[in-house]
Amino acid sequence: MVKVTYIHADGREVTVEGRIGASVMETARANGIDGIVGECGGAMACATCHCYVDADWQAATGPRNDGEDLMLDCTAAELRDTSRLSCQIRLTPALDGLRVELPAEQH
Amino acid sequence: MPLAPVDRETTIDTLTLDPYPIYRRMRSETPVVRVESVRRTLLTKAADTKYVKDTPALFSSDDPETPMKPAFRAHTLMRKDGKEHMAERMAMAKAYSPKVIDAHWAPLYRQIVSDYLDRLPREGMVDLYADLCAPAAARILAHILGVEEASDAEMIRWSQALIDGAGNFGWRPEPFEQSDRANDEMDALFDSLVARHRAEPNPSAFSIMVNADNPIPMSQVYANIKIAIGGGINEPRDAAATIVYGLLTNPDQFDEVKRQDCWSDAFEEGVRWVAPIQASSRLVMEDTEIRGISIPKGDTVMTIQASANRDEELFEDGEAFNVFRAKAPHQAFGSGPHHCAGAHVSRRTVGAILMPMLFERFPNMSLPDPDAVLWRGFGFRGPINLPVRLA
Repeated sequence: MVKVTYIHADGREVTVEGRIGASVMETARANGIDGIVGECGGAMACATCHCYVDADWQAATGPRNDGEDLMLDCTAAELRDTSRLSCQIRLTPALDGLRVELPAEQH
Repeated sequence: MPLAPVDRETTIDTLTLDPYPIYRRMRSETPVVRVESVRRTLLTKAADTKYVKDTPALFSSDDPETPMKPAFRAHTLMRKDGKEHMAERMAMAKAYSPKVIDAHWAPLYRQIVSDYLDRLPREGMVDLYADLCAPAAARILAHILGVEEASDAEMIRWSQALIDGAGNFGWRPEPFEQSDRANDEMDALFDSLVARHRAEPNPSAFSIMVNADNPIPMSQVYANIKIAIGGGINEPRDAAATIVYGLLTNPDQFDEVKRQDCWSDAFEEGVRWVAPIQASSRLVMEDTEIRGISIPKGDTVMTIQASANRDEELFEDGEAFNVFRAKAPHQAFGSGPHHCAGAHVSRRTVGAILMPMLFERFPNMSLPDPDAVLWRGFGFRGPINLPVRLA
C-alpha cells in the first residue's frame, strides 16, 4: 500500500492508502473522495477524473498516456501543464506520498 | 456451473409498460436470467452491468447481426470496439466538451430555450413533452452537430426512424423503409453542408470532423452525425420530461431545489430514477461466468442500467424520486469506452439551462393529474406526454 493525498479545490486535504497497481481514480472512488467522479470506470471516455499532479511528483508520475491529451480537452475545469486523468496514473512504490490537487468541477 | 434460469413469462410488452417491478424481482431472485421474449440474458445488478461495460474484451459491442447496420446504412461506432471505435469517437469529442459548450453554445442555447418558452400557450393545458422537451432538444442538437438547416420536425422524425430501425430485431420491412427514407434525406442535407463547414470552420461536430488534420472517412462522419441524431434527441427530451414530472409530483423537493438552486442534483436524480437509455446489449466473446452462472461464448447479455440505478446495494429506496438522497454513482450514462459522449452536453443543456429557465419562467407550473402521464419504453424510456398548467 502507498499513501496518496488528495487536495480538494477548497484546500481540504485527505490522505488515504492505495493498493499498488490501482489507479489514482480507483483509489479515490474506493475511499469516497468525491472530487473525482470517474464515471466511465477508467476507459478514458468521460474526463471526470481530472486532477493536477503536484509539481514535485510530475516526474515520478511520468508523461500523459497515448490519447490522454485528447480527452483532457474535454475536462470541465481549466487545463494546466500538470493536468492528468487520474485513471491513467497507476500506483507504484515510487508514488508513495503522491499529492494530487482536484479541480472544483468534473462535469 | 448452472446456466441462467429461463424466464418464459416476461414479455416485451410488459417491460415496455412498466419494467421496474419486474427488475426489482429479478434483482432479488434471478439477477442473471435468460428472458425468452427478449432472446437475451438480462443482468439487473449494478456491479454486473458495470463489470460488463468495463470489460469490452470479453463483452463486445461489435454485433455483426445488428439491425443498426441497415437502419444507419453504416457500421457505426456504437457497434465497434477498440482503436476504430476510439478514433471515430474522438473525432467529434471536442464538439461535446464542456469548454466548447460554455464558450460557444451556452448563450445560443439560452436564446433557443427562451424562444421556445415564449411560444408556449399561457392558457389551459400544455403538453410540455411535445411542445418543449422534444423540439428544444432537436434545435439544440441541430446546432451542436452543425445541421441547423434541418427543421425540428425533421430531426425528430429522423431520430425516431433511426431508433425504430436499430431496434427492429424482428427484421420487419416497414421500419427499414422509414429509416431508408430518413437516410436519403439526411445524406442529401449532409452533402449540401460539407462545403460550408470546410469554408467556415466552426465548433460544430460536423465542422470539427471534416476539418480535422487526419479526418475520418466521410462515410463515418455521416454515420457519427446520424448516431448523434438517433441518440441525442430522445435522451435529453425524456430526461427533461422525467425531471419535470419528478419535481411536480414532489412539491417539497421542488421547493427545496429552487431554494438551494441545485438543478444539477435534480438532473442527476431524474436520469438515475428513469434512465433514458434503459438497456444495452453486449456479445459474449469467450465462455465466462457472472455471479456463478455460466455465460457461454456467443450469448448476448443485456445490461439493464434502469435496474442498476435502483439497485438496493447502492440506493436506499431507489424506486422513489429523491433529489436529496445520499450520493451514489448511477449508470444512466453507462460506463467503459462507450460511456455516453453527450453526457457533458446533457448536463449543461438540460440540467444547467433548460430546467432552471423553465421553472424561473413558470414558477407556479403544476401537474393537475399525474395519472394522465403515460410512461413507455423498454430500451429507451420516459413519459410520452406531460400535460401541465403553466400558470
